[in-house]
Amino acid sequence: MLRIENLTKVYPNGTEALTDVSFEVADGEFLVVIGLSGSGKSTLLRCINRLVEPTSGRIIFNDVDVTAAKGAEIRRIRRQIGMIFQQFNLVKRSSVMTNVLTGRLGYVSTLSSLLGIFSAEDHARAAASLEQVGLSEKAHVRADSLSGGQQQRVGIARALMQEPKVVLADEPVASLDPVLAHTILKYLEQLNKERGITVLCSLHFLDLVHRYATRVIALKDGKLVFEGTPDQIDDAQFKTIYGQEAERISVI
Amino acid sequence: MAQLNQPLKTSNSSVLASWSSLVIPGLGQFILGRRWRGIVIFLMIPILGYITNWAQVRKHIGQVEIGSLITSWLWLPFILFWLWNVLDARSLVTGKTYNTLFGVLFAAVILYVTAWNVTDVKLDRLISRIHDAQLVMTDLVNADILTININGTDQICAWECLSGAAGDLLAGRPAKGVIRVSDNMLDIIGRVKVDRPPRWMVVVGWAENGVEINQYVPGTLIETIAMGLLATIFSTILAIPFSFLAAHNVMSRVPGGSVIYYVMRALLNIVRAVDTIVWGLILIVWVGLGSFAGMIALTIHSIAALAKLFSEEIEHIDTGPVEAVRATGANLLQVIRYAIIPQIVPPFLAYTLLRWDINMRSATVVGFVAGGGIGFFVVETIRLGAYPQYGAALWAVAVVIIIVDYISARWRDKILRDQPRETPETGRRWPTILRTTILALLGLVAFAYCWVVTKVNPAALFEPAPTFLRLVGDFLSIDLTPAILDSVIQQILVTIFQAMLATTLGAIFALPFSFLAARNLTGRSPATAWIYILVRSIFNVLRSIEALLYVAIFVFWVGIGPFAGMLALAVTTFALIGKLFSEAIENIDPGPIEAVTATGANIVQVVNYAILPQIVPPFVSYLIYQWDINIRMATIIGFAGGGGIGLTLYTYFGSLQYHKAGTVVAIIVIVVALMDFTSAKLREKLV
Repeated sequence: MLRIENLTKVYPNGTEALTDVSFEVADGEFLVVIGLSGSGKSTLLRCINRLVEPTSGRIIFNDVDVTAAKGAEIRRIRRQIGMIFQQFNLVKRSSVMTNVLTGRLGYVSTLSSLLGIFSAEDHARAAASLEQVGLSEKAHVRADSLSGGQQQRVGIARALMQEPKVVLADEPVASLDPVLAHTILKYLEQLNKERGITVLCSLHFLDLVHRYATRVIALKDGKLVFEGTPDQIDDAQFKTIYGQEAERISVI
Repeated sequence: MAQLNQPLKTSNSSVLASWSSLVIPGLGQFILGRRWRGIVIFLMIPILGYITNWAQVRKHIGQVEIGSLITSWLWLPFILFWLWNVLDARSLVTGKTYNTLFGVLFAAVILYVTAWNVTDVKLDRLISRIHDAQLVMTDLVNADILTININGTDQICAWECLSGAAGDLLAGRPAKGVIRVSDNMLDIIGRVKVDRPPRWMVVVGWAENGVEINQYVPGTLIETIAMGLLATIFSTILAIPFSFLAAHNVMSRVPGGSVIYYVMRALLNIVRAVDTIVWGLILIVWVGLGSFAGMIALTIHSIAALAKLFSEEIEHIDTGPVEAVRATGANLLQVIRYAIIPQIVPPFLAYTLLRWDINMRSATVVGFVAGGGIGFFVVETIRLGAYPQYGAALWAVAVVIIIVDYISARWRDKILRDQPRETPETGRRWPTILRTTILALLGLVAFAYCWVVTKVNPAALFEPAPTFLRLVGDFLSIDLTPAILDSVIQQILVTIFQAMLATTLGAIFALPFSFLAARNLTGRSPATAWIYILVRSIFNVLRSIEALLYVAIFVFWVGIGPFAGMLALAVTTFALIGKLFSEAIENIDPGPIEAVTATGANIVQVVNYAILPQIVPPFVSYLIYQWDINIRMATIIGFAGGGGIGLTLYTYFGSLQYHKAGTVVAIIVIVVALMDFTSAKLREKLV
C-alpha cells in the first residue's frame, strides 16, 4: 500500500508544484492522475520514487517511509517501483537488450554491471520481458531504430525487469498516436490484472480514464481537487478540473 | 506594438528617447526596444574614437592641417557615424531602422583606412618585386624532392628533368642518370641507415648493444605525425576529467561545484587563448628544446580546447535516460555507465578526430620555436635561404595534412550520421572481437613507436630547468609599467588590424572562387566538373599549410613586416573561407528557388529573394569565425617575420625578459578571449 501524506513540493525558483496532497493507493489499483499540463502530475509521480525531492510531507510505501530513506535505501525502494516515461527515455544508442537489462541495475553488483556482465537468469528474464511486450525479435537492434510505440514497449519491459510492486507511468501515451495509446495501456492493464501490480498513471484524455482506471485523482495547480471513480466525474467536476472554458470532447 | 496601438500617448516619450541618442549613442535604440543595436552602437563610438585618435597621434594616419589645427580627416566619418546613429534612433520612432549600410560604411572607412596604414600595405612592392616572388615560386614548384646523378654530381630532378627522363624512357634513349629520392626528402620522410640500435631494440632483443645494424631513422615529418598523434591521445584522456568539472549540469549538483565550474571555465579559456606556439616557447624553458616540448605544448592547448567542447556536450546530454536509469534503483556509477557514456562517446570521438586534424596542423609549425618536427626543419631552410628544400617540406606537409583532413572528416561524418545498425548477437561476435583486438594491438604498437620518436621523457616535466621557475615567478608578477603596456597595446592593435585586413582580402578573393567550387553549380555537368575539382584542390592544398609556413615566401617578396604576415594570413583565409563558402552554397535549399521561380520572377529576383537570404547569414557567420581564427594566427605570425605582437613576444622570450613576455601573453589572452566571446555571441545572433 502506498500512502501520500500532506505532500508539498516547492521548486528552487519558487514554483509551488504540489500543495498539501494526501491520498492512498491500495494494492492492485489502477489509479489514474488527471489534470492540465503544469498541474503537478509529473512532480507527484517523481516524488514517489524520489527522482524529485519533496519539500515536506511523507510518502509511506509498504510501511517504509520513502521520504526518510537515504542513499542505498532509496535505491532499494526505487527498484521495487518501475517507471515509464512520456519520452520513453531509452538510451537511444544502446541495444534494446541493454536497455531492458538496465532495469536490473538495482539488483546486480556494481562491478559486474560496470563491465556489462549480467547473469544468465537476468538474460532469460529480459528475454521473457521482451516476449511479454511482443518484441522478442528486436532484442539486438538499436533502441532508436524502433518506432515510438515499440520504444514505449521496451520501456515497459525495462520496468518489468525490476519485478516491481508498483509502476509509475508518466503520460505514457502522450507522445504516441491515439491508436497506439490503447496498445500501451492494455499492456499496463495486463500487468495490473494478471500480476497484481499497482499502477499509477497520469493521463490527458478522459475517455482513456473511463476505459482503464479503477480510481481517479485530479490535480489542479498542485492541489488535489477530485478523488473517486471515473463515473463520478460529472460536468461540474470536469469544469473544476479543466477550467470553465473546457469542453468535453471525445478524441477517439 | 504599443506604438501602433497608441501612437499619441507614446510619441512624446519616443521622440525624447530618439534624441537621447545624440547625447549617448545607442541609448535611443536601446530604449525603443532594439537593445542589441543600441549596445553595439554604444560600444562602437568609444572604439572608433579611440582608433581614430590613436591612428592620428601615434601613426599620423589621415592627418590634415586646417590653419593651425592639426587633426585627422578620419574624424569626419566618425561624426557622420554619430549623426547616422541619431537618424537611426529618430526613424525607429516609426518602427523602422534607418539604412544600416551607412553606419557600417562610416565605421568601415575608419577601420580600413587605419588597418591599411598600420599593416604597412605596399601594393607597389607586389608588382616591383614580382621578380623575387618568381624566384621563390620557381624554387617551390621545382622542390628538392628527387635527385638525378649526372656524371657523378647530384642535381635536383624537378618537372623538366622528370619529363625529360620520361621522354627518354619512351623513346628508348639511354637515361641521363639515376633518379632517386633526394637527401633533402630523406631528411623529411626518414631513411634506412646503419647505426647503433636504439635502446628499445636491445630491450626487446632484436639487436645487441653496441652492434650497428641497418635501421629506419625517422625523418622530421614522421616526428611531426608522432607529435600530433601523441598529443591527441594524451589530451583526449586528460580532457575528460576536466570536462566534467567544467560542465554546469554536473557541477551544480555538487556542493561548491559552481565555484569549481567558474574557475575551470576561466582556466580553460585562458589556456586555450594562448596559442600552441606560445606554449611551445614556455615549454622549451621547462623541458628543453625538442619534439617532446612541442608535443607537450600541443597537448596543453588541446586539453583546454577539447575540455571545453566535451563539457558543452555533457551539458547538452539528454536527461531522460539518466532519469529512467536512476528510477530503476541504479547507483551513480551505474547511471554514468548506462545512461551517460553511451550518449557522450560518439560526440567525444568526433571532437577527438577534429582535434587530431588541428593538432597535426599545429604540429607542423610548433617546431618553429620548440625545435623538432618539420617546423624546425623549415626554420633551418629559411635561415639558409634554401627554398627548393623549403618547398619540398611544404609539399610533404600538404600531402600529410590532406590525408589527415580526409580521414578525419570521413570518420567524423560516419560517427555523426550515427546510423543505427544491428548489434551482432552473442554467437556472431567473435570476428568483431578479433578485429578489435588486432586494431588495439596495432594502436598500442603505433603509440609506443610515437613515444620513442617524440623522445617522450616524463621525468623532464618534474625536474624543470631553473630558468623555468624564474619564468613562472615572472609570469606571476608581470610588467605593468605604462611604457611596456603602451608598446604591447600598440602591437596588439596592429595584430588585430592585420587579422581584419587579411580576413577581408581573403574573403573578397574567395567569393568568386567559392561559386566555382560548389558542387551544385559546377560539379554536376562533365563540362565544368574540372573547374570544380581544380578549385577545390587549390583550396585543399593551400588550406593544408599553416599561415606561419607561408610567411617566408611573402617576407622574401615584400620584406619583413606586418604586410608579409597579413598576406600569409590572407592566403589561408582565401582557402578556408573559399571552402566554407562553397559548402554554404552547396547547402542551399532548392525549395525556395523553385517557389520564387514559380511566381514568375526573373533570375535577378530569384537570386535576391531565394538565394541571397540563404547564403548571407552563413557567409557572415563564417567571416566572423575566420576573423576570430585570424586574430589567433596573427598573434604568432611575427615569429616568422610577419610583424605584429608575435615578434615582440619572441624578442622578450629570446632575451629572457619574462616579466615583459608575461605582459604580452596576458594581453593576448584578454584580446583573444574577448574576440572569442564576441564572435560566438555574434554568430549565435546570426544563426
